[in-house]
Amino acid sequence: MHPRLTLENVSYSYPLPGRGEVPALSGISLRVEPAEILCIGGANGSGKSTLAQVCAGLLMPSSGSVRYQDKRVERHKDLLELRRKVGLLFQSPEDQLFADTVEKDISFGPRNHGLRGADLEARVRRAAELFDLSLEELGARSPFSLSGGEKRRVALAGVIALDPEVLVLDEPFIGMDFDSRQHMKALLGRLRDTSGTSIVIITHELSSSWSLADRYALLAGGRLESLQNRSELVCNEADLSALGLRLPQWGLLANRLEKMGIVVLDPADPLALARAVCSIGEAGDDR
Amino acid sequence: MIGKDITIGQYLAKPTALHRLDPRLKVIAILAGASVIFLYGSGWGLLAFTGMLVLVLVLARMPLWPLLKSLRTVWVIILITALLQFFLTPGKVVLSWGFLTVTDTGLYNGLIFSSRVVILVLLLAALVMTTAPLALADALASLLSPLRHLKVPVGHVITVTSITLMFIPNILEVSRKVMRAQMARGADFESWNVFRRVRDIVPVLVPLFVKVFHDAEELALAMDVRAYPENGIRSRLYPPRIGALEIVLTLGFMSIAVGLIFVF
Amino acid sequence: MGGDSGNRISVEELSFTYPGAAREALSGINLFFEQGEFCSVLGRNGSGKSTLARCLNAILAPSGGKVTSCGLDTRDQGGSLEIKKRIAMVFEDPDTQIVGTTVEEEVAFGPENLRLSTDVIRERVDSSLELTGIREFIGRQPSRLSEGQKQVVAIAGALAMEPAFLVSDESTSMLDTNARQRILELFLSLKEKGMGIIHVTHFLEEAAMSDRVVVLDNGRVRAEGAPGDVLYDPVKVSEMGLDPLPVTIVAREMSAMGYPPPGPVLTVEELLACIRA
Repeated sequence: MHPRLTLENVSYSYPLPGRGEVPALSGISLRVEPAEILCIGGANGSGKSTLAQVCAGLLMPSSGSVRYQDKRVERHKDLLELRRKVGLLFQSPEDQLFADTVEKDISFGPRNHGLRGADLEARVRRAAELFDLSLEELGARSPFSLSGGEKRRVALAGVIALDPEVLVLDEPFIGMDFDSRQHMKALLGRLRDTSGTSIVIITHELSSSWSLADRYALLAGGRLESLQNRSELVCNEADLSALGLRLPQWGLLANRLEKMGIVVLDPADPLALARAVCSIGEAGDDR
Repeated sequence: MIGKDITIGQYLAKPTALHRLDPRLKVIAILAGASVIFLYGSGWGLLAFTGMLVLVLVLARMPLWPLLKSLRTVWVIILITALLQFFLTPGKVVLSWGFLTVTDTGLYNGLIFSSRVVILVLLLAALVMTTAPLALADALASLLSPLRHLKVPVGHVITVTSITLMFIPNILEVSRKVMRAQMARGADFESWNVFRRVRDIVPVLVPLFVKVFHDAEELALAMDVRAYPENGIRSRLYPPRIGALEIVLTLGFMSIAVGLIFVF
Repeated sequence: MGGDSGNRISVEELSFTYPGAAREALSGINLFFEQGEFCSVLGRNGSGKSTLARCLNAILAPSGGKVTSCGLDTRDQGGSLEIKKRIAMVFEDPDTQIVGTTVEEEVAFGPENLRLSTDVIRERVDSSLELTGIREFIGRQPSRLSEGQKQVVAIAGALAMEPAFLVSDESTSMLDTNARQRILELFLSLKEKGMGIIHVTHFLEEAAMSDRVVVLDNGRVRAEGAPGDVLYDPVKVSEMGLDPLPVTIVAREMSAMGYPPPGPVLTVEELLACIRA
């Protein structure tokens, strides 16, 4: 079973007319598997935005290769195809809304890829449902009349309507309050579990996706520093700091416990953490 | 400063002699030059003027390439107006193509008109590139202040102009971002199909306008909160000094410019 | 409740409705803000926290009730210049509040608008850069700085007005963790020097560092008090639309397990300290 998206030794530099080139990514090797949520942690300036664009076929790497299901992306035609298979959502995606109605906006993507008529309608309907948007209620309204959270979900639906197998999200939770964030996390989890979509969340804030991500990749200065799971991240707190990232309180607590010799199997589980903390007290009582 | 470091048509942070010149003098010189050109400039006069302009810019160590890039945004308008002149002006027919005829007067007028516009754009670009937006706003406020006595709403003109100037890099940055987002949804801005390219402009223009207006409001608020005055009259950390040298140079430039136009 | 009216902002029965809006954005708000205090304002999106911030420095005039900032009524147009001098504000987006092409020009903007003399402007620019620790940025182009650095420049620009209060309207929302930390530390040091800080945010870790927390919900004050008192119960916190601090969730699970509740702890250190005690 091939990984969906493979980056091998990918480098990218931005051409600056009159000033040579600015390196943004160097030697990145990465695999994105089906039905997983991968979190790429990177501070501002780490190259995360460039990496998102390379993954989604907006930029052709200066060197190295990008493969989709083991087929190499080489020509402009392949790039366009990659844009359909890998959906990309930038920060503040509501900024991209433009159509008169929500329905038209969501249909923009699939329409560009040639869908028409009943197929198009079905695709739009399904995309809206995946993000809890009721077309009956909202379909004919202007996207500009919606609330912030609704706008964001319309933008997401617009990308999901392309039927991508991989979804790349650049800072998807920024500016969201608690309720919207919980809702979004549930929707993304559902996408992974029922549709088998691979989801790549690129962020500097590890807390929002703490309970959601299956794996973490850390990006700094254009290089992929490491690939870890949550428990490994917890042990390497100092490394994170050096990369401009910080563990959420969950991870910090698990880290302190680990330093005391108490290992928490799942540092995203409040019960496990609570039991672990209680056990310090008991250990103390036994003295 | 809003937006990333883009140098097309906006302030260039490289110290040239023109940067140090009081913006009020620059504005006056450009206004004078532009009016003379549009009213009287033709044929060799325009060419001579352009030559002198280029000389001044080179002497002032102005990088010419960014200046020329500023023409990129307007060439379409220039081309269309020139073509209209070519085909619609009555005169002796020089070229003919089915029902389309190009006359000699049309050709001449079209070329003259285009050259005038090109020179104007270059003058404005040179102004904007060598003058920080705030300094330009201050210059306009100072020059236009006598109009306040005539109850002309000078203040609004100043604020709007300065915000617009400060927004050029922002507009470019926002349009880049929106284009990228729409490309990710299958919009193709490199298509050979002209209709496709035109159609795909709408999904860029609408969000662009929405965002730019929103950002402009925020900028206006940020300026208001730090007491930016209605009439645009402020004091300056580095007050612009108009010395004898600057006045002589400016008057010199203006007289030569006017002279060239009238001589030819 | 000390100090003369020059040292505080008092909000009395404040209500505000945006023109054309169906419901009130703020209703019946009663609050005080003092100098030398760091107060955080929390609330879900749409709760009215930005609206409240903008009523404090007369950007918005009350629809009902009264706001008295440093002794000046915000409804009085004539006093608006004075209010702008006493209550400075920084906004969320670093890119749409910076007007200068150099940091120096940016910080000088406020004093220049006040038509101060060159010497005084020079002094204020230097002391603002000193206070914010960015002396060496003086000649740099703001467009080349990081988002966090830009916000520090924006704060320096606000400080050049020599205000009694600094209102931060979600100025940390677009920054990464390290940049946010720097801004918070800056706020704390300004507070130590006697400035009143009113920080609108949705990050509870930031609110946990303040002296007082105000939570708005649906345009009303839902909770007010010391961070420990307001934020320790994760159920109440999430009801108010806020993201409960993980430590408070763990503490709650611990009490559910029969462990004696460790009291209002908001940070990992506090939790562990309580257990060890």
